[in-house]
Amino acid sequence: MKIILKKFSKNFGQVEVIKDMDLEIESGEMVALLGPSGCGKTTTLFAICGIHNITSGQILFGDRVINNVPTQERNVGVVFQNYALYPHLTIYENIAFPLRIRKMEKSEIDQLVQEYSEMVGISNLLSRRPMHLSGGQQQRVALVRALIRKPNVLLMDEPLANLDAALRLRMRSEIRRIQQETGITAILVTHDQVEAMSMSDRIAIMNDGKIQQISTPTEMYSDPKNTFVAGFIGNPPISFYNGVLQKNYFVGTAMKFELSEATLSNGIQEEQKLEIGVRPEYVHPNFGDEVEGKILFIEPQGRETLYDIELDDGQVIRSIQMGSQQYQMGERIQWGMDHKNILVFDENGENIFSKLYGTSPKL
Amino acid sequence: MKRIPLAYWFLLPAAVSIILFYVLPVILTFVFSFTSMASDTGIYGNHYVYSKNAIRALEKSTLNRDIFKKIIERKYVFDSESLKIISQSKIEKKTQTEIEETLPGTVYSTEKALFEALDKLKNKPRSFRDKKIISRATIRSLNGEEFIEISEMRVAFEKLQIEVGEEDFDLITEVTNTSWHWTTKNYREVFSNPDSWRIFKNTGLYVTLTLGLFNVGCALIIALLTFYMSLGQSKFFRSLWLIPRISPSVLYVLLWRDLMDHSGFISYVMGYFGVAPTNWMGEFPWVTIIVINGFVGASMGMIIFSSAMQAIPKSLLYAASVDGAYMWQQIRRIILPQIRWPILFIASYQTLSLLTSFEYIQLSTDGGPARDTEVWALHAFHTALSNYWGNLRYGFGATLSVVLVVIGIIASITYLKLFKFQVLLQEPPIEN
Ligand SMILES: Nc1ncnc2c1ncn2[C@@H]1O[C@H](COP(=O)(O)OP(=O)(O)OP(=O)(O)O)[C@@H](O)[C@H]1O
Ligand SMILES: [Mg+2]
Repeated sequence: MKIILKKFSKNFGQVEVIKDMDLEIESGEMVALLGPSGCGKTTTLFAICGIHNITSGQILFGDRVINNVPTQERNVGVVFQNYALYPHLTIYENIAFPLRIRKMEKSEIDQLVQEYSEMVGISNLLSRRPMHLSGGQQQRVALVRALIRKPNVLLMDEPLANLDAALRLRMRSEIRRIQQETGITAILVTHDQVEAMSMSDRIAIMNDGKIQQISTPTEMYSDPKNTFVAGFIGNPPISFYNGVLQKNYFVGTAMKFELSEATLSNGIQEEQKLEIGVRPEYVHPNFGDEVEGKILFIEPQGRETLYDIELDDGQVIRSIQMGSQQYQMGERIQWGMDHKNILVFDENGENIFSKLYGTSPKL
Repeated sequence: MKRIPLAYWFLLPAAVSIILFYVLPVILTFVFSFTSMASDTGIYGNHYVYSKNAIRALEKSTLNRDIFKKIIERKYVFDSESLKIISQSKIEKKTQTEIEETLPGTVYSTEKALFEALDKLKNKPRSFRDKKIISRATIRSLNGEEFIEISEMRVAFEKLQIEVGEEDFDLITEVTNTSWHWTTKNYREVFSNPDSWRIFKNTGLYVTLTLGLFNVGCALIIALLTFYMSLGQSKFFRSLWLIPRISPSVLYVLLWRDLMDHSGFISYVMGYFGVAPTNWMGEFPWVTIIVINGFVGASMGMIIFSSAMQAIPKSLLYAASVDGAYMWQQIRRIILPQIRWPILFIASYQTLSLLTSFEYIQLSTDGGPARDTEVWALHAFHTALSNYWGNLRYGFGATLSVVLVVIGIIASITYLKLFKFQVLLQEPPIEN
């Protein structure tokens, strides 16, 4: 079932939470909705499943406008951010609830509940009540309750936030497997970009009630549309550095280098303010010498080591290098950047035809 | 000496008031229920009354017959008291003086003998009316007399020249003593009196119907309706339902009386449908007491239920609609189970308050007509504190109240069992 949002807006009284959002999700696709807290992710999900009326715009399932279709008839499965399990019912009854509402046969319900609860490993908890379950267990119950009636659309609001690392890995692939097997169209809200990248076909990044960019994880990483996306995706995060265009050069107070053809050919003017984004893996001693400063902070991560370098004008650039710590705190260094893999943004933060080419850094 | 923590001192006033105003009355009621206290026994006891009952009892007793005769006899005595009354009357002075000189100390056993003695006087009373005045002034009888102290009774005996041995005197004091005594008769009476059963059934009907139709039923319906309304509307409706609660009960019932009168609003409206003016309250006493109490009682349940519904996490209702549940299914499967505890609370609280409160019934039908709407609490009130036939039976009234307390306790326990209170009290895990 294809989901289409057309110029969808949502206000709460005077507060404009979502403004003219357009979003298209193909049938059978899983899209991760990624964005900072309060940007409107839950609001978007609630509009799709019909809990909130939308202020303007259209929501379509397939080619049917469902603005006025009641929630009950949209056949959407939702995993709520706070699970929303029914506290007065046992786990069994919680999972069976949607089936009971549909007046399904008892034996059939029994069979389905057993099957689904085994799938996520909660079949031993069926007789308990939600408040006697751990957060992770509750989350799995919520997931199963959303899936058991085979909805056309599955909306998940941070379904894995409360799980431990191992269980989270397992559930990621489990959810993805179920989604692909059933061909269900799904939206996954998450704060975890690794989760977003590994589980979904495409990622939609939201900020301030707007979709900033929607594309595949790889593209999102290498060709972010603006500084927000560039900053949001990537861990450790990208570092930004301010400067201006002079001749064909990007010139900052502590750094200067020549810009690429692609960027230059797009009508940027002399003395225009620019901001470059450098991903940490493209800052390395082997790349040259324009990054000159002292090491401000070192974060050993085992396989890699992260260095924060303070340039002479006070701006900070981050570098990640394979291997254990090689330099000392406060040490003055002179490293370089891979010029082919530098992102350039204009003063509004929009990307100026720059992207990462992914040439493996000379390490 | 161990020091009492400060907190207990802070609790002291509350503890004292609880004991004074809640515990003590219950204990006293229980104590009184085992007495024969009534308005004719008084509360302090030791009255000696020569009532009809007492004289009948003396007649059947082993009392010396002569003495018994003397007790029930009338006598005409010239003592200081009678002389004083005579001296203040309009009888001629001559006659008065002669009586004062010659007659003091004499006793006559019949009016006839008295009149003969008067006729023998030189200045005999001139008219029959005067003789009657003297007769009335001198007449003495124990019949109907009431004494507070035994010594007063001795004086009276002396005056009437009744000589009684100690044994007979004790017997007389015992029989005429009307003060209350300890007894279990009240309890036997409660269970043997056919009225009790009728009033018990009335009470059951009244409590069940008022509770079911209004205090819980109507309250729940309004709470649910306003739950699905917009904020402004729901506030308006809820305030509307609060009016009876905050208006003084006398005014409120008077209003109903006016409404249901022959010339009242209901008769007026029904007039358009060709119904003759009727005293609706007299015609439908049961509807009256249930509606009047219900309108007041519903407001409390409504407020409690509404706020309990507001406290249900919205996400549960969202989840239910997503799961396909429409409004009615949400109410039945989510809202009602979630507010089970408030419902239990209201049901038990209102059962108790309906069992014990009677002011609206008293003010509207006063248990009538023909004690048709008499409920237990009102019955107790009538018995002990206010009735037409005069004798207020405090002890029996207390017994009726004790029975009410027992019924209340049984009702509460039943409610707790019914709603599986234990399950509600299960310990939640740390996180929630
Ligand atoms: N009922 C409401 N009335 C007014 N404002 C609301 C309401 N619901 C949400 N908002 C506001 O809308 C914005 C978006 O809320 P939303 O719950 O969609 O955020 P979110 O992206 O899901 O955040 P999080 O990641 O923290 O869950 C927030 O600023 C929030 O304060
Ligand atoms: Mg949210």
